[in-house]
Amino acid sequence: MHHSSTWFTMKSYTYSCLIIPERIMFHMPTVEISHISKSFGALKAVDDVSFDVEKGEIFGLLGPNGAGKTTAIRVLLDIFKPEHGSVSILGGPMTESKKDRIGYMPEERGMYQDIPLDSCLVYLGSLKGLAPAEVQRRISGYLQRFDLASSRHKKVKELSKGMQQKAQLITTLIHEPELVIIDEPFSGLDPINTQMVKDLLREQRDKGVTILMSTHQMHQVEELCDRIVLIDHGRTVLYGRLDEIRRQFSGHAVIVRTPDKLPALPGVEHVEQHNSSAYRLNLAQSTNTQDVLRNLVDRGIQVDQFEIAAPTLDEIFIRVVQKDDQELGETA
Amino acid sequence: MSKFWKIASHEYSRHVFRRRFLLALFSVPLIMVFMVVLIFLIIRMDSNPTPIGYIDHSGLLVKAIPQPAVKWPERTVPILPYTDETKAKADLQAGKLQAYYIIPADYLQSGQAQEIYLKEPKGIATQQFDAFLSANLLANQPAEVAQRILDGNNLIVQSADKSREASKDRFINILLPILAGILFIVGMSTSSGYLMQAVVEEKENRTMEIMVTSVSPGQLMSGKVIADIAIGVTQLLVWALFIVLALIIGKNFIPSLGGLKFSGEMIAIIAAVMVPAFIMISGLMAAIGATVSEGSEGQQIMGLFTIPIWLPYIFIALFIQNPNSPLAIVMSFFPLTAPMTVALRLGFTTIPTWQLLISVIILVLSAIGSVWLAGRAFRLGMLRYGQRLHWKEIFSHQRV
Repeated sequence: MHHSSTWFTMKSYTYSCLIIPERIMFHMPTVEISHISKSFGALKAVDDVSFDVEKGEIFGLLGPNGAGKTTAIRVLLDIFKPEHGSVSILGGPMTESKKDRIGYMPEERGMYQDIPLDSCLVYLGSLKGLAPAEVQRRISGYLQRFDLASSRHKKVKELSKGMQQKAQLITTLIHEPELVIIDEPFSGLDPINTQMVKDLLREQRDKGVTILMSTHQMHQVEELCDRIVLIDHGRTVLYGRLDEIRRQFSGHAVIVRTPDKLPALPGVEHVEQHNSSAYRLNLAQSTNTQDVLRNLVDRGIQVDQFEIAAPTLDEIFIRVVQKDDQELGETA
Repeated sequence: MSKFWKIASHEYSRHVFRRRFLLALFSVPLIMVFMVVLIFLIIRMDSNPTPIGYIDHSGLLVKAIPQPAVKWPERTVPILPYTDETKAKADLQAGKLQAYYIIPADYLQSGQAQEIYLKEPKGIATQQFDAFLSANLLANQPAEVAQRILDGNNLIVQSADKSREASKDRFINILLPILAGILFIVGMSTSSGYLMQAVVEEKENRTMEIMVTSVSPGQLMSGKVIADIAIGVTQLLVWALFIVLALIIGKNFIPSLGGLKFSGEMIAIIAAVMVPAFIMISGLMAAIGATVSEGSEGQQIMGLFTIPIWLPYIFIALFIQNPNSPLAIVMSFFPLTAPMTVALRLGFTTIPTWQLLISVIILVLSAIGSVWLAGRAFRLGMLRYGQRLHWKEIFSHQRV
């Protein structure tokens, strides 16, 4: 298994050189999910999924509804035991003391409805190992920042959905966790609060906090995430650095924005209108994009914009999921 | 403070300081107080202070000693002597008397007197006149003889092995284990109901997932069970306090309450039966809370368990007749009926030690089993939102 082989490597290095193990420790992922599977009756919710989340990165866990994202998170947090595979979190299996180093915001938001907001936050914060006085001190700052200070004595049920969402975020971060696992962080938030949460997540990352984020909002993933895993029907269908994935799906085409009419160009197989002022030029395999640009300039075409046609994450998502559905349909 | 205690104290204060709990807690003693006040009021209203007259032809009351003093809330009904009936009759018709008695010349032989009234006086007036007559009849007797006669008989019935006894003055001792048993069961049923609600609530408001990523399911569950037991004990202590107060006050008015004795043996038996029963019921309620998706559904299932718990109460007449019947013995061994059956039988018989031992062992095993069941149901059902967990899943080989 991956985990045991890492350990083996570490041991062998320990005997040969004292510096290298530290490097390995430094690079040891915060989360290592290795070939996990989990079923509920006949339904295979997660099927042989593996991915690592590196320290200090924002990692996107993506997938369509019912893909197995929440189950994967619950296995990772030791809420569910996997039938196969192993999970290493913060350097080993989940323990009770590690729970204090993790902040989790589940998809199903939950707060005690019948008690005042500050009591609820103090209680949930104290369960993360903080002294009540310390929680009190910390929540004051967060309530100010989240514009909830005037609602601190209100019962949770009297708060709006967005306010409850922000309160939930406080419970996730109050104990200054090393790892934050956050399911759909932007649902129910207006643009101002969405921006605030984005800033907060970036701020956490800059402090060295590792963030695992599950969301459907692809533009947020594009903005925030360094790496992603896309799972569908419980299986990993895409995994890696976001820029590499986009490059992998970019095909061999360029987008050219110009007010001029495009002439026939060598090495260009097909031209299609991209939008009102831009064209998509599908290139032959042997064509170099630099040659295309040179040809355009040589012909006196006004080039307002020239870029490699990389698909949006939304497009990649749809393409991959549709392909996966098709393959599964054929197998069935 | 460990997380386990934080959960226990949070659960305890969340339920105990709720208006609904306080209302339920104090409504029982308040109803008792209300009933006592009502009884006092009835006594006070029944003791009409309009005088009673008498015409003595027997000579017994020539130098009449005054009537014995009465205790509050009873009011003294003045007893006035008349020399002739005409005057007494006129006063009766004028409403100055509620009744008058004619003591005939042969009263000491016949023991009969005549009572004349327009509207029959209440029992209290008659009792006071009887006490007045008795005091005068015994006036020449030594004080202790007079007192002995006034106190009447006190028969003590003993069991053949002399281990148990009952008497008019000590009838309350028969009721005591029954009363303690009922209180215990009411206390644990209501507090276990709170536990079930607390588990369902955390599923309904989706706090469960946050909780299990902060504490272990074991800590969460045991914290809740301890809080539940503390809630039940609070309830019982408050009720016991009111009962003791009622007994202390009531002793002044109901002499037989003075014969009340708490035996260490009885307390030990009740505790040995009720403590595992409490844990067993708490476990069952928590398991129900973990399997259902809504509080109302939980209440219905809870009702199914409440029936066998109270079932022995229906057979109380049979238990009085034969507290050692096969039915009583079997019901003492069945975990859900055992607490009430043992409490009822304790009042009427000496339960053989072997039966008590079997009963306690079965209850302890049931308590362990129910806590295991609750733990498993909890782990399987904690994140089933809006979906019921089937009992067969709990007993399946699914890994949790």
